[in-house]
Amino acid sequence: MLFTDAVKDKTSFLEKIEELLILSDIGPKTTGEILDKFQEMDLHYFRANNFDNFKNHLKEILISMIPTQNTAIELDSNFLNIIMIVGVNGTGKTSFAGKLAYYFKNKGEKLLLVPADTYRAGAINQLNLLANNAGVEILKTSEGADPASVVFDGLQSAIAKKKNLLIVDTAGRLHTYNNLMKELEKIKRVINKVSPNASLKTILVIDATTGQNGLAQAVNFKESLDICNIALTKLDGTAKGGIVFTIQKELHIPVAFITFGENINDLSEYKPDKFIEALLD
Amino acid sequence: MLGILSEKLQNILGKIKNKGKITEKDIDQSLREIKLALLEADVNYKVVKEFISKIKQKASQAELSKALTPGQQMIKITHGVLTEILGDSQSKVGISTEKPTIILLVGLQGSGKTTTAAKLAFQLKGQGHNPVLVAGDKIRPAAIEQLQIMGKKADVDVYSRGVNEKTINTINTAIQFANDNKKDIIIIDTAGRLHIDKNLIQEIKDIKEKIIVHETLLVLDSLMGQDALQVANTFNKEIGLNGYILTKLDGDARGGVTLSIKSVTALPIKFIGTGEKLNDLETFYPDRMSSRILGMGDTVGLIEKIEASYDRNELKKMSKKEFREQFNLDDFHEQLKRVQNMGSVEKIFNMLPTQNIGFLKNMNKNIDGSEKEIDKVEAMICSMTKKEKFQPEIINGSRRRRIARGSGTSVSDVNRLLKQFFKMKKILKHGFNKESLASFIR
Repeated sequence: MLFTDAVKDKTSFLEKIEELLILSDIGPKTTGEILDKFQEMDLHYFRANNFDNFKNHLKEILISMIPTQNTAIELDSNFLNIIMIVGVNGTGKTSFAGKLAYYFKNKGEKLLLVPADTYRAGAINQLNLLANNAGVEILKTSEGADPASVVFDGLQSAIAKKKNLLIVDTAGRLHTYNNLMKELEKIKRVINKVSPNASLKTILVIDATTGQNGLAQAVNFKESLDICNIALTKLDGTAKGGIVFTIQKELHIPVAFITFGENINDLSEYKPDKFIEALLD
Repeated sequence: MLGILSEKLQNILGKIKNKGKITEKDIDQSLREIKLALLEADVNYKVVKEFISKIKQKASQAELSKALTPGQQMIKITHGVLTEILGDSQSKVGISTEKPTIILLVGLQGSGKTTTAAKLAFQLKGQGHNPVLVAGDKIRPAAIEQLQIMGKKADVDVYSRGVNEKTINTINTAIQFANDNKKDIIIIDTAGRLHIDKNLIQEIKDIKEKIIVHETLLVLDSLMGQDALQVANTFNKEIGLNGYILTKLDGDARGGVTLSIKSVTALPIKFIGTGEKLNDLETFYPDRMSSRILGMGDTVGLIEKIEASYDRNELKKMSKKEFREQFNLDDFHEQLKRVQNMGSVEKIFNMLPTQNIGFLKNMNKNIDGSEKEIDKVEAMICSMTKKEKFQPEIINGSRRRRIARGSGTSVSDVNRLLKQFFKMKKILKHGFNKESLASFIR
């Protein structure tokens, strides 16, 4: 819409850029920084360029602001790999865990799903159904069990069965609850103790509809755990997930996966240029 | 929860406050800051624009008040416009005269419909109704099971026909079930759906065509960003809504979503979800929300919470003079346990006015510390003799050392406890009622 009119006037151009970026949830601060880069241009720039040039230039600017390395999860072939999935309530962690298991199964990995969300009613059964759907093995556990001990069992089982990948689904938690964040740290300690050589990667799941609070989520989860990548879910709606741009820029945590539907294969590896393109669409 | 927005507004307006005179430049500058703060709070871009122009208009028309500083005046204007948009009355679920009342909960995936359904049933049951929960989510794996487990916790019947039955058939037989079992309210949990999913939106349309739904409520996540406006608007246009339930307000999201959805549809926000427990469903008070936005804190809510954790007889007992005069460390211990029952310390902190709790915020950062603090106090009180508990005045230096040793604390811990105790006793001497509590909090 924005780029269909040839925009000649600087003020209205910048205003439209502002609206576009704000509505994508990039946030006012980042938007301000992006606008500043255009403010430096003289009027000639705005007269001389058509909308395609603007779009390409804006894309270049955006790409230059976020990490484009380490966007893929590389498994360690020598040691046990553990992927722990964390995030606030309702972002789609369990669905993502199922999709991720399916993705790695298709890559030939020998994996075990660990349902460490023993809190939410029905979460374990949900993951069981997804595991069944994905055709992967899942650890047996029961609601109310201590999540760290479930992970402990998962590690023992993975070692005994010579698995090379453990995918751990955890309960949703708001980052403002310290005791719940400590629970995650405990899981991490258990992993380090039982398998000190294991390669642990923690993925933070952020839902594309999330607003500016997403940054606080990422900051707090990062403080408690080393967040290695982000999974951006629910991109099949109308929300763009712009806050994830700001998270990447501020915290240098790259996205690894995006998801966009309720089918087990609605998952893609993240591509920065495609993400930016969709953001400006 | 809206603390940071409040802080920002206070920072901006504080700048004006110190000048004593308000100029057009001041207005423009503070409006620019308010705009940024609102955007940071996830208020929709278009709504922010309208909001700002409204304030600008009011601010330029306002006569300089002699009673108020310019800062206070700006707060008053902003508060007025905020309250105007958020509405001015609380709302409840509309109970129909013909039974059963049918409530349909809809929303995006992960907004908290199932949890909210159980909370709502629990609340209505507590008000003397006899609700039944209907499991209408056959898409998400194990959603029915989740509702069944939560229904059990809430001690409310859950009606399900499994995942192979059409939702409309499940609802029809549920109505029959309700009539047969004297259920006066049916709460239908539905599958999460995108506002742009034509098939699933059509499913709701079909339901509403075939049966009379008294309340269609959109369950909306308060962590949402700009898209909330479009989601609310589309759901309302497509299927017709009666109001909203906003979830996850126990986090630190700034809740600008409330402003966005209110200004686009003017439908009431009926409830807010503030935690994972069954009773964490609260009435939405527009005036409180405005106050929160402006940094006045939710003291009324806090006082209500305090009141709710005591029963009437206990309050009566506590208001008696002899109780107040004889207040001892045993009673103090009892009160402490109450505070713990009121919910997490963080949740209580979040309700306090932000400008007064700088020191509490540091504590909030280290919440485990303050929970441990309560454990410490318990240990100290348990290390006292009966006589010491009833006559704390006798606790001298050597007794303090003994108590500290016995409880694994230090003498300064004991000193602090006694100081707190005497302070509370002093407050109680002046009576135990809403006003005294409020003044204590403020």
